[in-house]
Amino acid sequence: MRTEGLIFADAELMRDLEGDQSVQQVANVAHLPGIVGPAIAMPDIHWGYGFPIGGVAAFDEEEGVVSPGGVGYDINCGVRLLVAPLGIADVRPRLAQLVDALFATIPSGVGASRSDVKLGRRDLERVLSQGARWAVEQGYGFPGDLEAIEANGELPAADPDAVSERAKERGKSQLGTVGSGNHFVEVGYVAETFDAAVAQRLGLEPGRLTVFIHSGSRGLGYQVCDDSLDGMIRAAAKYAIPLPDRQLCCAPLSSPEARAYWGAMNAAANYAFANRQLMAHYARLALGKVFGPDAAERTRLVYDVCHNIAKHETHEVDGRSRRLCVHRKGATRAFPPGHAELAPQFRDIGQPVLIPGDMGRYSYVLVGTAGAFRETFGSSCHGAGRRLSRHKAKQLARPRNIPKELEARGIVVRAATRATVDEEMPEAYKDVARVVDVVHAAGIGRKVAQLRPVGVVKG
Amino acid sequence: MPHTADVAVELRARSELGLYQAGLDALRELLVGTSSVTPAVERSIEPRGADPTERLIHFLTDALYLWDTERFLPAKVTASGIAGETYDPAKHQAQREVKAVTRHGADVRVADGGYHTTIVFDV
Repeated sequence: MRTEGLIFADAELMRDLEGDQSVQQVANVAHLPGIVGPAIAMPDIHWGYGFPIGGVAAFDEEEGVVSPGGVGYDINCGVRLLVAPLGIADVRPRLAQLVDALFATIPSGVGASRSDVKLGRRDLERVLSQGARWAVEQGYGFPGDLEAIEANGELPAADPDAVSERAKERGKSQLGTVGSGNHFVEVGYVAETFDAAVAQRLGLEPGRLTVFIHSGSRGLGYQVCDDSLDGMIRAAAKYAIPLPDRQLCCAPLSSPEARAYWGAMNAAANYAFANRQLMAHYARLALGKVFGPDAAERTRLVYDVCHNIAKHETHEVDGRSRRLCVHRKGATRAFPPGHAELAPQFRDIGQPVLIPGDMGRYSYVLVGTAGAFRETFGSSCHGAGRRLSRHKAKQLARPRNIPKELEARGIVVRAATRATVDEEMPEAYKDVARVVDVVHAAGIGRKVAQLRPVGVVKG
Repeated sequence: MPHTADVAVELRARSELGLYQAGLDALRELLVGTSSVTPAVERSIEPRGADPTERLIHFLTDALYLWDTERFLPAKVTASGIAGETYDPAKHQAQREVKAVTRHGADVRVADGGYHTTIVFDV
C-alpha cells in the first residue's frame, strides 16, 4: 500500500462490513500510483467492484492515474431534489394520482426508453457536449435550474468524438428515463429541520412536498466505461502499474489512454445531467397534471449532485495548494461555504448535499463544510448503503408483499417489476440516519433537513 | 455467491465453451428469470480478448449489448455466437436491468479437469 485507508464509520456500521470485501477494496485503492492522502471510505461504504462504493481517492495530476473503476459503469449516477409549492396535507388525498402520473410520465424498468424523445445525431452530440444546458434550451426546465446543478450541469472537458458508436446507439432513446435497480423517483415531504434558516433558504420548510430523482447516464454511460477497460488494462501493463483487481485498471493522467477516457467520461456525465433535467421536467408535468399549472411552474430545483465521477479540483494538502484528480464513486461532493465553484445562492451556506435513504424510512439534506474540504477532499456520503445482498433481500421478501406493507405505512409504490421492489426493500439498506449522524459528527457534512417518503416509482 | 450491491455468480464447466454457456444462463436468468427462451435465431459474436478471462467477459458483454439494443434474449452458445429470440412481454418476465459484466474477481482457471471463474454483474 502506498498510503493508509480511512473509513468513516461507527462500531455498528463497521460490523456491517464483516464478511464482505469492501475494506479490502479500500486497501486495493491505496495501491494505486500517485494517490494523495488516504484512500477514503464514507460511512455508507459497501462492496462494489474496483473501488468500494462510498470510496473517495485523490491523485496527483502529474504522477497519478485515472481509473474507470473509480468512477463506475453508471457515470454521473446522481440525485436531484425538487421542492413543490404544495403542503403534504393538501397532497395526501391525491397522492396515488400523483404517483400514477409520475409512473406514466417517466419511463422506468428494464430497457425503459422514450418514444417522444428520440435523439437525432446532432442533438445527441449536443447533449454530450452541453449536458443540462441542451435540455433547458429545448424547453425542458428553466434557465435558473442550471445554477442549482453541480458544475452547472455541463462539463466542458466532454469530447463527443471519444464516445463510441455503440454507446451512442445505447443512448439515443433512453434520455428522460429512470432505469431499474436502485434508481427511483420519490415523492416526500420535509419532516424535520435541523437548521431552520438554511432549510428555509433552500425552500425546505416543514411539510413542503419534495421530489427526489435518482438516475445516471443509462446505457450510454455503461458502454463508455466498458469501452475504456480494454485500453486501460493494456495501459496498466504498458506503464507497469500492478493491479490488485483488473477492475482497478488505470492509466497515468497525462497518457493518451487517460485523455480518451476523460473526454468520453465527461460526455457521459453530461448525458446524465441532461437525463435528470428531462426527468425533472416530466415530474413537473405530472405535478401540473394533478395539481394545476401553477404547481408545475413553481416547482423549484433545490440541487443536483453527481455520485460517480472524477474531477480535477484544487485542494490544500500539507499547507500547499495542489491540483488533484478526485475520484468519487458512490460519494458526493460537499464543498464548503465560500467555495468559488458554488453559485451565488449557495456561497454563504455551502453546497447542498442530498442523501437518499431507503424507500420506507427517510432521506436527508445536508450542506458541505470546511471539515469535508480539509478531511475528505470536499466529499461526503451518498446514501444509506446496502447491507443485504439482492439475493438475501429477495429471500426475505418472498413470503411478504412489500408494496402492501409500504402502503399500510402511507407510502404508495409503483414499479415495473416485483423483483426490483423486493431487492430494494427498506431492510436491504443501512439506517441512513446512522450514516448521516457519522457524517455530521465527523464534520464532513452538516444536517439541514430530514425528508420522509410518501410515494415511490421504481424500475 | 454473496455480493452486497451487485450479483456475483460462480461459473463451472468442463470446457471453455461450457463456461460461456454457464455465463449466458446466468445473464438470461438475471434478465428474465426462469422464462423459457427458444434458440430460434442466431446472432454472431466475434471472439476477442487476449486471454480466456477477457474472451469470456467480451462474449457476455456482447450478449448484453444485443439485449440492450435489440431486446435479443440469449438461449445458447453456437459456433458463431449465440442463438435466442426477441423479448416478448407475453412470454418473458423482465426482472431487472443489467448494466455491465465487470472484471472484478474474474479469473478463468483450469483445475480438476474443468474451467471455473467468478463473474460479478453490475445491476
